Amino acid sequence: MTRRLHFGLGLLLSLCLGAGSSGTARGDERLIIEAALDRQIVEPVLAAFAAENPRIDLDYRDRSTLEVDRRARDPESPPDVVISSAMPWQLALSNDGMAQPLDAPEADQWPAWAKWRNEVFGFTFEPVVMAYRLELASHMPPPETHRDLLDLLTRYRQWLDGRVVSYSPRKSGVGYTLFQQDARYTPRAWDLIAAMGAANVDLEATTQRMLEGLSDGRYWLGYNLLGSYAMVWAQTHPDIIVQVPNDYSLVMMRMAFVHRDAPHPAAAKRFVSFLLSQRGQHILAGQTPLFSVRDDVVGPYTAQRLRDQVGDHLYPIPINATLLAFVDPLRRQAFLRRWDRELQILEPPKP
Amino acid sequence: MMPPRTSLKRRLTLWLVVIVAGLGTLLLIEAYTSARKAADRAMDGQLEAASLTIAESLQWPEGNPTLEMPASALQILATRWQERVFYWLQADNGTTITQNADLPITAAMQADARRQPVYLDAIHDGEPIRLSGREVDSAGWDTQEPVQLWVGHTRHGRDLLARELFRKSATRFAAMVLITAALVGIAMHTMLAPLRRLRQALRERRAEENSPLMLDVPREMQELVETLNRLFADQRHHRDALLRFIADASHQLKTPLAGLQSTSELALTSNEPGVWHQALVTVHDSAGRTSRLAGQMLSLTRLQHLGPLHERQPLALDRLMREITVDWADRQDSRDHDLGLAIEVPAPVWVEGESWALRELLNNLIDNAFRYTPPGSEITLALRGDDAWVTLAIEDDGPGVDAESLDRLTRPFERGHRQDTHGSGLGLAIADSIAGRHGSRLEVSNRAPRGLRVCLTLPRCQPPEGRAG
Repeated sequence: MTRRLHFGLGLLLSLCLGAGSSGTARGDERLIIEAALDRQIVEPVLAAFAAENPRIDLDYRDRSTLEVDRRARDPESPPDVVISSAMPWQLALSNDGMAQPLDAPEADQWPAWAKWRNEVFGFTFEPVVMAYRLELASHMPPPETHRDLLDLLTRYRQWLDGRVVSYSPRKSGVGYTLFQQDARYTPRAWDLIAAMGAANVDLEATTQRMLEGLSDGRYWLGYNLLGSYAMVWAQTHPDIIVQVPNDYSLVMMRMAFVHRDAPHPAAAKRFVSFLLSQRGQHILAGQTPLFSVRDDVVGPYTAQRLRDQVGDHLYPIPINATLLAFVDPLRRQAFLRRWDRELQILEPPKP
Repeated sequence: MMPPRTSLKRRLTLWLVVIVAGLGTLLLIEAYTSARKAADRAMDGQLEAASLTIAESLQWPEGNPTLEMPASALQILATRWQERVFYWLQADNGTTITQNADLPITAAMQADARRQPVYLDAIHDGEPIRLSGREVDSAGWDTQEPVQLWVGHTRHGRDLLARELFRKSATRFAAMVLITAALVGIAMHTMLAPLRRLRQALRERRAEENSPLMLDVPREMQELVETLNRLFADQRHHRDALLRFIADASHQLKTPLAGLQSTSELALTSNEPGVWHQALVTVHDSAGRTSRLAGQMLSLTRLQHLGPLHERQPLALDRLMREITVDWADRQDSRDHDLGLAIEVPAPVWVEGESWALRELLNNLIDNAFRYTPPGSEITLALRGDDAWVTLAIEDDGPGVDAESLDRLTRPFERGHRQDTHGSGLGLAIADSIAGRHGSRLEVSNRAPRGLRVCLTLPRCQPPEGRAG
């Protein structure tokens, strides 16, 4: 009799515990984020979101842009939120119907130039910069514009040979986009590429690798680095100078969207809304170097402040259908073919 | 009183609602389709522009078509509504040059596009899209193959545009309906005003009033007012006749009563029984005549107030005439006259009628003839006719009446200027009333060389069952 009572009590207890754990413990809902954005940089934002939403279990997966794109297109296990700096690919995902519109006041108020179809939102404002080692300035005038860079590469080719680094358009979506955009603005960009080719430019897949190479002393000069990473790096590496080009500076925007087949759409929408909210942007502006897009946010890293510092020659990569042309396979092939040709075109005669 | 029927206003409103609803549905369907067409027309221009821009960039560097996708073409395709954009290029040998989506393009669609640029609706990814296809001829050094070029985008902007156009049309239509309804309401009120005036005028009339209505009404209602006025005039005539009859009757009664009074007064002044006797005889005769007069007036009034003929039944007219002739021949009144009967149609003659009324008619006619003809006159009761109709006539060879009195003879108290008889002047009026009840009329005419004929024509009928025709 007593034993049976104990048994019953135990069952009851375990039932209660089970119910309790599923009702109150953290991690009711998962949130899978596939992101081409360094976790350590965006960590303050993630932490703030987690603090506000203790029941959402964040699964943040930091990957390369091309890998993010591949994962987003995987019909087997779609992520909830997709974040990437490869703007054309993000837009192509939206165009292929992979994104769902975000119905939230933050989304409606988001500036029209920084969103597409109310699905994809550019939520950062990251200038594209040049970076050089301090010792470069002792041998030649440091570059401030694209023309300066071309002049340096032409005049000081011997000095810079093998010491120039840039994004690989093949290995990185961001790099490809930046060079496409450069070439779109002026055909002189090809002269620059040819000059870099003549200087035996090294091509890296990430800004991080370029910065490491500069600090190692392997490289003296880097072109088309993400300003957000470079500025943080320069703060701890005083031998690296970051230069926002004075003629024009591209601005790259990280783009986020809620996946069409998001397994946890509510959490996904909440997260993207948080990224766009004043609070989310405030953290972005204050605790990350990603620069807030919103005008009503104050902090060291805001688009407004950047404009005040470098003038009005900031050219955000436009978020519209023109980006789709960049991911057209033929156009990409043609571009890479020309890229290869231009890199070789000024091949110095072999001694 | 008739029970209240449907209201004119309600019926008009109902009709209008039905018409407006029917027309409105058609108009709205038309507005919707034309709004869609207009939106498509406007936006197909974007498809064409994008398509031409892409075609312009198509090149044949080494025998294979290649394309540096112009960014502007895609932006044109996307439009300001940020559509999803699709493109698909295929070489003539069937290899895809480039594409960004598996568009649902069939062989038939391609064949159409080969002839001329086409624009059509399709479904891609479960979403309706608009596609445009064209064939581009491009020349290279090695090959000259045409290329099929298809571009498309989602319909978001078209739907918005069409909805806006449709909303405008619908708003215009709704405004039109409201204005029409208001106008119709006002018009109906105005149109029905004369009807209300007529009703008011009729309500305000007193019972005895029968002057014509003087109302300003539209032409359509004038007829109604005229009909009413005719009715009033008839009423007036009827009333006048009635009043005349009463006046005449009073007058007719007054004369013998005055005679009675003077005779009795005269007798009272005498003490001689002989005078009294004489007076009593006079009083008796006069009272008898007066009583008969009153009786005839009563019978005329009753005849005129009787309802329509109910107890009509087949009766043998010749037999009735014979009976009555024999009856009269036995009376003392007929001793001075020669009363004859002439049945000039094969007997029996069946007519439908009321036996008592026809008997009364014959009696009155014979009595009349006796009274207004001098002694020794020949009076013939005749029955003539054919298979369908019979004419009952009474003819005499008396003095007749002058022509202008002929028509008035059937009026009460009309004696054809003869004051020399003791007739009441009601006999022919009663006979005419009875003829009227049988659907006929009394016809009075002078005979040549002299005498009067009074006749009426009746339809013959089938003999009742069981009687031989």
